[in-house]
Amino acid sequence: MNSRRITVPTLIGAGLLAAAALGVGSAAAHHAFSAEFDGKAPVLLRGKVTKVEWINPHAWVHLNAAGPDGAVREWMVEGGTPNTLLRAGIDRGTLKVGTEIIVRGYQSKDRSCEPICKANGRDVTFPDGRKVFMGSSGTGAPKDGSDPTDAK
Amino acid sequence: MVREVLVWLQTGLGKGTGDTAQSWSEALLGSLNFWGLLEGTHLISLMLFAGTIFVVDLRLLGVTFRRTPVSVVSDRVLPLTVAGFALVVATGLALFFAKPLFYYHNVWFRAKLVFLVLAMLNIAVFHMRVQRNQSDWDKAETPPSAARISAALSLASWILVIAMGRFIPYDWFECGKPIPHLANVLQDCKASEKGAIDKGDLSRLKGPAK
Repeated sequence: MNSRRITVPTLIGAGLLAAAALGVGSAAAHHAFSAEFDGKAPVLLRGKVTKVEWINPHAWVHLNAAGPDGAVREWMVEGGTPNTLLRAGIDRGTLKVGTEIIVRGYQSKDRSCEPICKANGRDVTFPDGRKVFMGSSGTGAPKDGSDPTDAK
Repeated sequence: MVREVLVWLQTGLGKGTGDTAQSWSEALLGSLNFWGLLEGTHLISLMLFAGTIFVVDLRLLGVTFRRTPVSVVSDRVLPLTVAGFALVVATGLALFFAKPLFYYHNVWFRAKLVFLVLAMLNIAVFHMRVQRNQSDWDKAETPPSAARISAALSLASWILVIAMGRFIPYDWFECGKPIPHLANVLQDCKASEKGAIDKGDLSRLKGPAK
């Protein structure tokens, strides 16, 4: 009888704690790839850098490039944190406005290009041929070989 | 009015002269390590805060530590809660300072503040009314319904505060994107730099979807 009185609130409490634990668990994955980007919509963008936002938690590289439909528009491509990019060899000195780059990435799920086309960047190729991983690891993005920390 | 202050906070405060001058807010947002340190500390102190307040709430509900008087549990645990709260608020304010306009026009952040206010009101009601006769039920395995309702409201509102906070970084309802009218209104997108586009309007503009 007494044990039954305990069971119901215990279950409720356990449920609440599990919900809270789930919340914290997803926090560890910071910013899940699949919430905003489509792993089945790869894009290859080639164009000149128009602006770089060196901000946390993701830097954004803006460039004018032709999208999958061939139309040239402004794209903003999500990268890792400024810290991640610096350690990968991408900084204000190497990624300047006007630099011609090639970015491999995945388009945003909504594909509306409204107000601006969005993509998640995987790697960036510089004019000298240097190819650098520009994303974050462990976001759930497709294992496409661009992230050197992915298990082969 | 609020927005003007936030614009100044984000782009004006601490800005020097010269082409590359940044405001303090912009410098914090672009920092190599400090922003990440703040975010990490915010989450860790959140765990201390929420984890300990949940213990007290579950005792008030009569779920855990049933044979320990409520006052014993709260005297031991609540100082940790207060310490966690101080840290979580301090780091939260600093994170807000790094991009005030983003949070101002973010529907999740606004919802988070609403639930935060509810949680604080609940604490005030608990201390001023529910606790007045605590000596009568301090040793009760299951405290009276007023205390249990208070504890349930506390659990629910803090879980919602945390959940809303978790959704803040996602861009589903970002201003400037074609989003539901209600989201545009709730976030005051019209006042934002990116403007407000209602999802319905856009489809009418472009004709029926194929």
